[in-house]
Amino acid sequence: MTTNRHMHEGTPPADEEKLPRLLANLDEATAMLGEARDFAKPGKLPRVLDTARRVLLHPGGAAALEVRARALEEAGVFLGSDWDSPQYLLPSLTTYSLKSPDANTVVIEALSELRLLAVAMGDYLHPLVSAEQAHHYLTQVMALNLWLLFSAPSEAERETQGRLARIPRYLFHHLAERIGYEHIIDQLIEEIWRILQQRPIQVEAVKQMITQIAICQADPAIDLGTSGQGADRLVSSLYGPTRACREDPGLEVYRQRLASMDNAALQGEATGFARAMHDTGLVSPYHPVLLRHLLDHGDHLITEALGLSSTGRDCLLCYRELAHALIRSAVHPATPQAVYGLALMLERGILYQPPVAPAMWRQLGLPLSEWSQARLNLAYGDAVSPRARLLEGVLCMLGLPLGVGQGNNPTCQSARALSMWAYNDPDYLLQMVAWAARDDEIVMHFEGQPISSMESSGGVAQSLPMDLDPVSLIVVPHLDRIYAEMGRRCIGREGDPHRWVNPEFHGWWSGRGFRINVDVASGQLHELDVFLRHFYASYHPYYNGNQPLIHPQPAGIAVTDSAARFIGWHAITILRVSLDPTDVMRVYFFNPNNDSGQDWGDGVRVSTAGNGERFGEASLPFEQFASRLYIFHYDPLERGELANVTQEELNRVTGYVHRSWGANRVPAADLQADSGHPNPGT
Amino acid sequence: MDKNPDKGYIALLGWSLNAVEAAENFDRRYIVVAPEWAEEYCQKHGIPHVPWNFERLNDRSLEIAETLKEMGVDVAIPLFEETVEWAGAINSVLLDNPRLYGQSLLLRDKALMKRRAQLGGIRVGIFEEAHDKGDVIRFLKRVNQTLLKLDGDPNDPIHLKAFDKAGCLGHRVIRTPDEVDTIPDEEFPVLMESHLDGWEFAVEAWIHDGKIAFLNISEYVTLGYSVFVPASPELERYRPQITAQIEKLIKAFDIDFGLIHPEYFVTSDGEMYFGEVAYRPPGFKVFELLERVYGFNAYQASMLVFDPKSTAEEVAAFFPREVEDAKCYAGCFGVYPRRRVVSRLEIPEEVEDDPYFESHELTPPMEETVTKRTAFGTHWGLIYFKGDDPNRLRELLKHQEELDFYV
Repeated sequence: MTTNRHMHEGTPPADEEKLPRLLANLDEATAMLGEARDFAKPGKLPRVLDTARRVLLHPGGAAALEVRARALEEAGVFLGSDWDSPQYLLPSLTTYSLKSPDANTVVIEALSELRLLAVAMGDYLHPLVSAEQAHHYLTQVMALNLWLLFSAPSEAERETQGRLARIPRYLFHHLAERIGYEHIIDQLIEEIWRILQQRPIQVEAVKQMITQIAICQADPAIDLGTSGQGADRLVSSLYGPTRACREDPGLEVYRQRLASMDNAALQGEATGFARAMHDTGLVSPYHPVLLRHLLDHGDHLITEALGLSSTGRDCLLCYRELAHALIRSAVHPATPQAVYGLALMLERGILYQPPVAPAMWRQLGLPLSEWSQARLNLAYGDAVSPRARLLEGVLCMLGLPLGVGQGNNPTCQSARALSMWAYNDPDYLLQMVAWAARDDEIVMHFEGQPISSMESSGGVAQSLPMDLDPVSLIVVPHLDRIYAEMGRRCIGREGDPHRWVNPEFHGWWSGRGFRINVDVASGQLHELDVFLRHFYASYHPYYNGNQPLIHPQPAGIAVTDSAARFIGWHAITILRVSLDPTDVMRVYFFNPNNDSGQDWGDGVRVSTAGNGERFGEASLPFEQFASRLYIFHYDPLERGELANVTQEELNRVTGYVHRSWGANRVPAADLQADSGHPNPGT
Repeated sequence: MDKNPDKGYIALLGWSLNAVEAAENFDRRYIVVAPEWAEEYCQKHGIPHVPWNFERLNDRSLEIAETLKEMGVDVAIPLFEETVEWAGAINSVLLDNPRLYGQSLLLRDKALMKRRAQLGGIRVGIFEEAHDKGDVIRFLKRVNQTLLKLDGDPNDPIHLKAFDKAGCLGHRVIRTPDEVDTIPDEEFPVLMESHLDGWEFAVEAWIHDGKIAFLNISEYVTLGYSVFVPASPELERYRPQITAQIEKLIKAFDIDFGLIHPEYFVTSDGEMYFGEVAYRPPGFKVFELLERVYGFNAYQASMLVFDPKSTAEEVAAFFPREVEDAKCYAGCFGVYPRRRVVSRLEIPEEVEDDPYFESHELTPPMEETVTKRTAFGTHWGLIYFKGDDPNRLRELLKHQEELDFYV
């Protein structure tokens, strides 16, 4: 027996022997799963997943599983899970599942990818997804997880995943070899452009993706073929937008080069930076170096470097002192986006509103509380002072009011409020920032009663959000508590609390008229027809006397997933309603969710560009938008004609509702035939 | 599977998914008698069932027997220790044989069981019932006096077991009077037994019409930790003696049909000592091991021998030849955390990479602090191995005891 002992203590047998043995084991486990009754399958699944995990730990394991993908799926590996409907899988969720500390989650995600690979390669004719869909999905998954292809496990991954962290890497190398690197890069570039078209305030994630591409392009070991051409603008906008910094020489060298430039050369640099910035919404760290240098060279060159139109230039010249002070305080190589924020703020002309310029001066000299300084340092590091960081955030929010995102937090109302104030009431926003950052307290009034953010207990968010832009980082925790407190003060009232909270929370311009199409108590649809007629009458130019929307209005939508299944209630802002370039009536709205380009199922795809959207706007044809709407406000004195909407049009909208979030909410009386027991409300 | 109305209609007492699956794939009609919490699951998956709470037998015991009788059920099979006397009570009604209830009570009480075995001419160790700690100390002293130990010599241990619990639950080993203090009062009364030095093993015997239809010997590597089947040739050479012992047991307990699961010690001189016997499937997933080794489903085997409508020919055709037809050796190891504080499950690479390793049922830890084991306790999950060499398998199972699976 001593001869056997070394077998389990000494060197394990070589890989070539191990893999076939594991595969035989897997095939046996798969067969057992396949033969099992549905109710017994959960008991057989762990062995399949565990064996698959061990197979995936071998470099050749992914290839072996790709061959078995069909057998695994047919045996029931995905049964009862989201992976069972591959047509609805969201590529963005893979970033979480592949990083999961739970082995089964990682393995089932990997198996699903390999199954789709077999589908994409034409080896597996799947009843639910086509080869093209699978191919598209996989390229997105790889683009989103590019780091898995090109980087070793991070400390965090090692800590949470251990040996498991090898699986996604082996998997992605296999996927990349089968699909081809060129697809990934091009997909990634497309994705980056799509996000940048929405002009978010937070661009750190996008910058990281661009950096990944730059690294790939520079690595001679990676053959990108003809792909990646479209990345040049992206990479150069960050690392070398102009002649004098083309080769990314470093800030110090660039500074020296500027010192010896004549006006014509400076002019060339200024226009180069401005073009890159306005093309992409991204600002290179070299840009602030130039801008600070130009403070001594006259306002003409500053105008050029900011890429201003005549409106912006007038504003700059009018408020010259303020603009210079803002550049000195807020624009640093570590805060390059401040340049873009400043440029767009000047373009908006909001400095002409009497309180805004003085409020900006207050912001420049604002002493920050220790708490605010600590939060800013914690979130962004201390490369620049917290005050400069906050100032950058203020400029960006005023320049890009529709670039506010809620991060990964349930605070859509607060993000919406900030965006609405930046858009509609900038001096009020500045007041809020001053109170929050300086005093650690915001007081708002609800029906005459003051509500202090310090005294209120919990907000909607369970923990303090960190993944936010500087202004949101400081202000959202206060707003969130006040919002929740307003909700608490409505407890016991009949109906939906948003009726009272929204106007008090957002501003006087939120209409006091209120409509909701869900019965709060039962969760059932309630008077959908009347609701829609009111909405058309208040918002649709054909039915409200061709009156364009005056103020942004808070509204509530029922968000659905790509299979049109209800996900949750969500706060948005209706910005305007007008004809798009193809003469379709569209609703343009702001979604505080970080990426507005979403597929809500049943053909309802939220567009973010190409249909007349301005930066940061999302849009849908009026009917489709109405079909996801569940709450809106209106001015009761400016209501349009109810009777004019055709029944045909209303039926189309109702159809969209009934096929999506309203499917289980149709009151019994409305049903032609019994179609099952309706679910109670959420 | 299509059900044959000419064959028996069987009630399974207790909830076991593996048993349900086996029944679903077998040609007998069946019904699950399980606690109410299983009802929703059964309805969802179309599993025939009657809700029943197996508390202590009470006035309503007859009710379930009558219910099953009205449904046309022929026999009830106990799946767990707690349902053994229920099966006895129900079968005495279904089969119109009151003796079956008395038999089930014998099989449920470890003290009664030993006496009956002794009366049947079966060798047992010294045993006694204890009602308090004083009884335990007296027994410990007396056993060691009998062994002619002097003061200061290390004591031979004694074993304490609950009367009516399955397997190792409540099993303690006591060596010194000090250790007696660690026993909580609520565990009394208990059965005390002298320690038998020897090779401990278990048997699973399917009995039909008073005769052994299939006899498996399960070899324990370490009690409470590991077992494999079939037994190694070293133990299998005792098969004739073991068969004779089982026949004695059948006679002593008057067993006509069913599955028995007794435990024995064989001492170095080849003498067999009876430990205990259970009238239900063994713990430690021996059924699963048997299926890996022989390919037959042991739950179906039980349904077959319990069914009064089964014929001798059908039974003979169902079972393979013992040992000869075994495809391999299969064993499992019960993992206990070895550290006091654990944060995650980490299967040692040497285990996973071993060619004998097949699969495991371990799950991540639910809590970080490991409860101190008082008695033998319950393992946290099983690891399965299989291979061709019983000695290597035994070594491997033994070696697992030195490894950390929870760190």
